[in-house]
Amino acid sequence: MFKRFIAFTLIPLTAGVSGVCANELNPDVSVTLDGYYKQNETALSHQDQGFGLGHTELSLSSPIDDLFSGRLTAVFEEHDGESEVLIEEAYLQTNGLPYALNVRAGRFLSQVGYLNGRHTHEDDFVERPAVYRAMLGSHYYDTGVRLNALLPTPFFWQVGAEAFAGDQLTEGEEDIGVYTLNTRLGGDITLSQSWQMGLSWLRNRHAKTADTGDGSHDHDDEEGHDHDHSHGAGYTGENLYIADLVWKWSPNGNNREQQLTLSGEYLYADELNQFAASDDTNEGWYVSGVYQFAPQWSAGVRYGEADLREAHGDHFHSQTLEETDVMLSWSRSHFSTVRLQYTHQEASGFSNADNTVLVQYVMSLGAHGAHGF
Amino acid sequence: MGSDMGIRYACAALLLLSASLPAQAQLRVFACEPEWAALVRELVPDARLTTATSYLQDPHYIEARPSLIAAVRRADIAVCTGASLEAGWLPTLLQRASNPKVQPGRRGLFFAADHARLYAPHDHVDRSMGDVHPEGNPHVHLSPDQLPEIARALAERLGEIEPEEGAAIQSRYIRWRVDWNRDRSEWRERAQALEGRSLVVQHSSFSYLLRWLGVEMAADLEPKPGLPPSASHLSQLLADPALGNASAILIASYQDPQPAEWLAEQTGLPVVLVPGTVTGEVPTETLNGLISEIIGQIESAVSGASDGGL
Repeated sequence: MFKRFIAFTLIPLTAGVSGVCANELNPDVSVTLDGYYKQNETALSHQDQGFGLGHTELSLSSPIDDLFSGRLTAVFEEHDGESEVLIEEAYLQTNGLPYALNVRAGRFLSQVGYLNGRHTHEDDFVERPAVYRAMLGSHYYDTGVRLNALLPTPFFWQVGAEAFAGDQLTEGEEDIGVYTLNTRLGGDITLSQSWQMGLSWLRNRHAKTADTGDGSHDHDDEEGHDHDHSHGAGYTGENLYIADLVWKWSPNGNNREQQLTLSGEYLYADELNQFAASDDTNEGWYVSGVYQFAPQWSAGVRYGEADLREAHGDHFHSQTLEETDVMLSWSRSHFSTVRLQYTHQEASGFSNADNTVLVQYVMSLGAHGAHGF
Repeated sequence: MGSDMGIRYACAALLLLSASLPAQAQLRVFACEPEWAALVRELVPDARLTTATSYLQDPHYIEARPSLIAAVRRADIAVCTGASLEAGWLPTLLQRASNPKVQPGRRGLFFAADHARLYAPHDHVDRSMGDVHPEGNPHVHLSPDQLPEIARALAERLGEIEPEEGAAIQSRYIRWRVDWNRDRSEWRERAQALEGRSLVVQHSSFSYLLRWLGVEMAADLEPKPGLPPSASHLSQLLADPALGNASAILIASYQDPQPAEWLAEQTGLPVVLVPGTVTGEVPTETLNGLISEIIGQIESAVSGASDGGL
């Protein structure tokens, strides 16, 4: 018997020597190519009319040692013919601290809301909902630190806090311009259904001292205004509250074949700036339903509203935007997606609201990180 | 004052929750696939198991659901296949659960593929080849010759995690091994009648077992590994001369049966639908039972096909 055990223990050693390991010590490299054609200019959009490049990313990630791992994501963008390289992520992350604590430090996407913490190339629509584009600049990332704890409950319950420089949201003097608190619960209802909900609070300490413009009523400024804030949020407030809910269904939980995803979020911001009265608030919501009806095909519809106050010196102008998106996408493999979308906008206070057809591709080269729920 | 009360209530609720949890003594195991849950059950029958996938799910593609993150958070050990099979969801689970015991390189993360010799490892892989794993075919749980080594390594690991149970786990392993050897010689005998036969398959899920049985894979319904069968690929297959020698079309329960059924209609070949892994029900609730069942299904399809031929 003893001899047999020795023989068995030798097998893994030889297997290890002959085994092929793809990239031993190099970081995982991944590139996301994102390009589109857009028929018409639309309100609050970060994408220009015509052919354009969307969120083209280069990302390097790797374990650093047994305690830390790290990621660097650079985003290449072009606006009005000028190329820009933005550092969207440059963070270290702990792996398995005691008590299931989780620390992230550096630059990263804030975990407020459902969509914000996700990479935009995982999205089901060409652009984030209008309320996200207005109040979070599509996705709010910044430099700071995060502490998360997963509570030892029989269901999923995470609580987390973040502190950021805050300048990516609103320029200001404070060293720590933004704090966030977030909690997230989730579980399975049946084999086929799962859910997750989250509540977030973002405190923007720069909001009160934000530059509110000179108050001149020059509405030709508006388009320029959009471009100036293409990476930040145009509509902020001292307190931003977000509630999000996601429900997914797939027969027997086999989401390879079919999956229905319903999600929605509500965002509310108050104390918009130093001149804000108590009824000056920004708010908005969206609901989205996406049905992956075959392994390679998805169809979806999304409706959202944004009810905003644009700062003009010491007073505000009301703006509203209602947006409906319908999309159809085809993925040849897990790494390629081509999407056709129609967007319908109805607005007041926006001069450039319009309807548009969009065609987009999102291609992922190299290592493909695991996705969240 | 109000928030103070809120915090007190929350603490009380947490205390109640933790008090309602059973004693910590039981080993808590997170199994990525049902085959490893079945193996753990043989070695530690009273373990508290959470299985991330079922035989009705494609293990490449499930999502890192909140319930699974919570289960990894509680686990003493996670038992998975490895070789990039779970690359789409396991890294997220491990990171979000941040369980210090269950992390890459630590004892609480066991990969079966680390203890097996995988077929078809690739020095060069690019995505135009489809979803090919550089490490080799990860569906190693249906390999009659490799499973004993995986079970031995798993028994050793479980013994390290629960040293006071080590001797008991070792003796259960030996008992399992004896049963496995007995069943394996029975499969070997049954394989004689199947040797040289060929089947149409979908994905490489059954490759290890078919090779061991000496059954050839005449064609694959997938145009490339991981891509769903397409109409153009299926019509190409129809013209493939290798199809003439095939006895049946073998697919797994989690796969869409339509492409196989279409080909069956065109060719008259029978469709054999078997679970790709252990299920909760007799006779496929253990790996032994599963392999016996798959061989039995292939046997009846092959004999039916040759009857039809006569």
